[in-house]
Amino acid sequence: MARIDVEQVVKRYAAERIIDTESAKARPALNGVSLHVAEGETVSVVGSSGCGKSTLLKVVAGLEYPDSGRVLYNGADVTFVRPQERGVGMVFQDYALYPSMKGEGNLAYYFEVHDRSEEEKEQRVRETAERMGVGFEHLLGRVPTTLSGGEQQRVAIGRCIVRDPQLFLMDEPISNLDAKLREQTRVEIRRLLRKFGITTLYVTHDQQEAIFMGDRIAVMRDGVIEQIGTFDELYYTPVNLFVATFIGSPPMTVFPAYVSSGVVTVPDTDASWQLPYQLATELPLGPVRVGVRPEGWVLDTPDAVGIRVRHVERIPTERASFIYGNLGPANVVVAAPVDYPERAEVRLTPDWDRAYFFAADGEQPLHVPGVLELF
Amino acid sequence: MLFPRVGRKQPAIRIAWWLVVAFLCLGITLHLFPFYFMLITSFKSGEEVLQFPPTWWPQEPTLAGWRLVVSLVHGANTAASTLMDGPFWVFFLNSVHITFWVLVLGIPITSLAAYANSKLQSGPLARWSFLFFIGTLMMPAALTLIPNYLLTRNFPFALPEVPEIPGTDIEFPSVRIWDTHWAVILPIVFQAFNFLLFKGFFDTIPDSVIQAARVDGGSEFNIFRRIVLPMSVPVYAVAIWGAFSGAWDQFLWPLIVLQTPEKMPASVEIYLLLQRFTQAGSMNAEQATAQAQQMQEILSAGMSWNGLMVLGILQSLPVFIAFIVCREYLLRGIRLRGLK
Repeated sequence: MARIDVEQVVKRYAAERIIDTESAKARPALNGVSLHVAEGETVSVVGSSGCGKSTLLKVVAGLEYPDSGRVLYNGADVTFVRPQERGVGMVFQDYALYPSMKGEGNLAYYFEVHDRSEEEKEQRVRETAERMGVGFEHLLGRVPTTLSGGEQQRVAIGRCIVRDPQLFLMDEPISNLDAKLREQTRVEIRRLLRKFGITTLYVTHDQQEAIFMGDRIAVMRDGVIEQIGTFDELYYTPVNLFVATFIGSPPMTVFPAYVSSGVVTVPDTDASWQLPYQLATELPLGPVRVGVRPEGWVLDTPDAVGIRVRHVERIPTERASFIYGNLGPANVVVAAPVDYPERAEVRLTPDWDRAYFFAADGEQPLHVPGVLELF
Repeated sequence: MLFPRVGRKQPAIRIAWWLVVAFLCLGITLHLFPFYFMLITSFKSGEEVLQFPPTWWPQEPTLAGWRLVVSLVHGANTAASTLMDGPFWVFFLNSVHITFWVLVLGIPITSLAAYANSKLQSGPLARWSFLFFIGTLMMPAALTLIPNYLLTRNFPFALPEVPEIPGTDIEFPSVRIWDTHWAVILPIVFQAFNFLLFKGFFDTIPDSVIQAARVDGGSEFNIFRRIVLPMSVPVYAVAIWGAFSGAWDQFLWPLIVLQTPEKMPASVEIYLLLQRFTQAGSMNAEQATAQAQQMQEILSAGMSWNGLMVLGILQSLPVFIAFIVCREYLLRGIRLRGLK
C-alpha cells in the first residue's frame, strides 16, 4: 500500500513522424499534472479520449518517463525508477495476457522473474484463485486465446493481484466488455478493491464507472486535471463550465442569457424568468450562461416558458423519463416523472436553487448551487 | 481466397477457376522439371546422358553415377580426384561451417535488431534507423561487390592499401579476413530482408503485452525470451529457412573471396568441377596425352554429367530437408506475413 504523489508532471511524446507537423508540436500529453492519492484510496481519472489519462497512468507506472515533474511513492522519488522495480500491478484495456502462456503461467510469470520458489508460486496462485472467486480455477489451465473477453480480464486482474502490489493501476479495464459483462465485472472489481484496500488509480472514459469505482474523481482535459473531488463536489461545485457539462448524464443544459434587474431573459426567444432576490443581488448584470441539470427544472409553474417536446425517453428503473427539446440554440433535457403524460409542449422554469451561472465569454462559474445538505 | 465460395456453379466462374488451376499446374511443372531432369540424369549411363534428343526416362538405369559420387565424397576415386582439390566431403563440411555460423550469428542479430527497433526505440530515431536498414535492400548486390571485396582485404578499410596513421609510417591496425570463411559469413550476418520480416511481425505484438511484462518485473531480455520468442516461432522458421538456403546456395561471393581451393563450399566446388570437366584444356602435347588418359579413366569409371547431377542433388538436398522439417511453421509464417 502506498501514498502516491504526482507533482507538476509534463510529458511530451516524441513525434512518430520524421518531420514534425504543427499539430504534433501543439500540446504535451500531460501539461503540469499534480495528483495526490492517499493510502488505500481509489481515484478515478475520467476524461474524453486523448486527454492524457492513460499517459498519466503510464507515468505513474514508470512505463513512460516525464519530461519534468516528479512521481513519489510514500514520499520517495521514483520518477526515473524502472517499472520492474516499482511493485505496481497494472490492468490493461486489451488485457495484455501473455499469449504463449496458460492462465497459470500468466500469474506465475512474476514469481518466475523474481526467482521465487516453486512452492511459493503455487501457493500464491492458489490463494489468488480463491480470492478471485468461483470458476477462476479452471481458467488457469487454458490459453488466453480460448478465453472470452470477460474471462481474459479476470485472469489479467488475477495476474495483477497475485503478488500483492502496493499500487493498482487500471487502464479502462472493462471498456472492451459487452454491457452486461461490464456491469458484472465492475461490481467484482469494486468488491476486490474494497476487500484489499489497495491504493488504486482507475482510468476510464465512462463517468458512471468513474463514480462507481472512485472515492474521488479527477476530471482531465487536454493534459490538465481540471478538478479532483468526490462526485458531489464535482456535481454541485464544478470549477468551470467543462467539468459542469462533463459530469452528469444526460448532460446539463447550457444556454446564453441576459441578466437585468432581477430578470433573466434568453436572447432570440421569448423566454424570461424572474430571479429570486438573493440570486439577483449576487449576479452581475449583463450576459451570462445559465446551466440547468435535467433534474433542475420545475415543470408547469405560473411563469414558465413553453418548450416544444422533441422526444421522450422513459427509464423505468430510475422512475423517470427524460424530455428532450430546444431552447434557442441549446438542447434542453428535462427529468420528469415516469408517468408524465406525453404532450407536444412542456412549460419549464429553472429551479433557481439548483441552477448554475457561468461567465458569457469564459468558463469560470459565477454561481453554483453548492453541495446539497440532505440531512 | 481468389474466388468467392458463392456462385462457384456459374459457368464463367467455373471456367475461370479451371483456367487458374491449369495455370498453377503449369507453373508447378515448370518449377519441378529441372529437378526431375536432374534426378533421371543421375540414373542414366554416361553415353545416354550425351544422347540427342535427350531421353525422358533412363533406358538402362544405372547406379554408376551414384557409386562414383560415393567414392568421390570419400576421396577414394583416384582418377576423378585429379580434377578435384580434395575429397568432396571437405567441401560439404565447408558449406556446413559457413551456413552454421551464418545462422548462429545472423538470426539472433537480425531478430534482436528488429525487436529493438520495433519495441525499444521510439520516435524519429526508430524511424531513421529502420529506413537505414531497409535502405540496404535498395542497394543492388553488384554495386557493393567491389567495396565488400576491398573490405575483406583490409578489414575496417574499404581501400586497396591500409592508410598510415598521419605523421608516422605505421599502418592502422587492420584484419585480413580475405580467403577465410569469415569473409563469406560476416557480410550476410545481418540480412535486411529478414530484418523487415521480423520487424513486421514484432510490430503486430501489442505494446501493452510488453508493458504488462515490464510491470511484472521481467527484464527486457527475459521479456523477449519468455514472451516474444514463443509467439514468433513461425516467423523464425521463415527467416531461418531463408537464411539457410541463401547461405547454403551462395555462389558468386565465396568464389570471389575464397582463394584456397580447400576452403570452397560445395556450391562453388560443383561448378568448378563442371568447368574443369568440360573445358579440360592443355598446354602441351604431353599434358594433353596425360589428360586424355585421365579423362578416359574417369569416363570409364562412369564419371559424366550423371555424377554431377548426383552432386547437384546432394547439394540441394539439405534445403529440401529443411523445408520439409519446418514445413508447417513455414506455411504458417508465410500466411502470417503474406510473403514470397
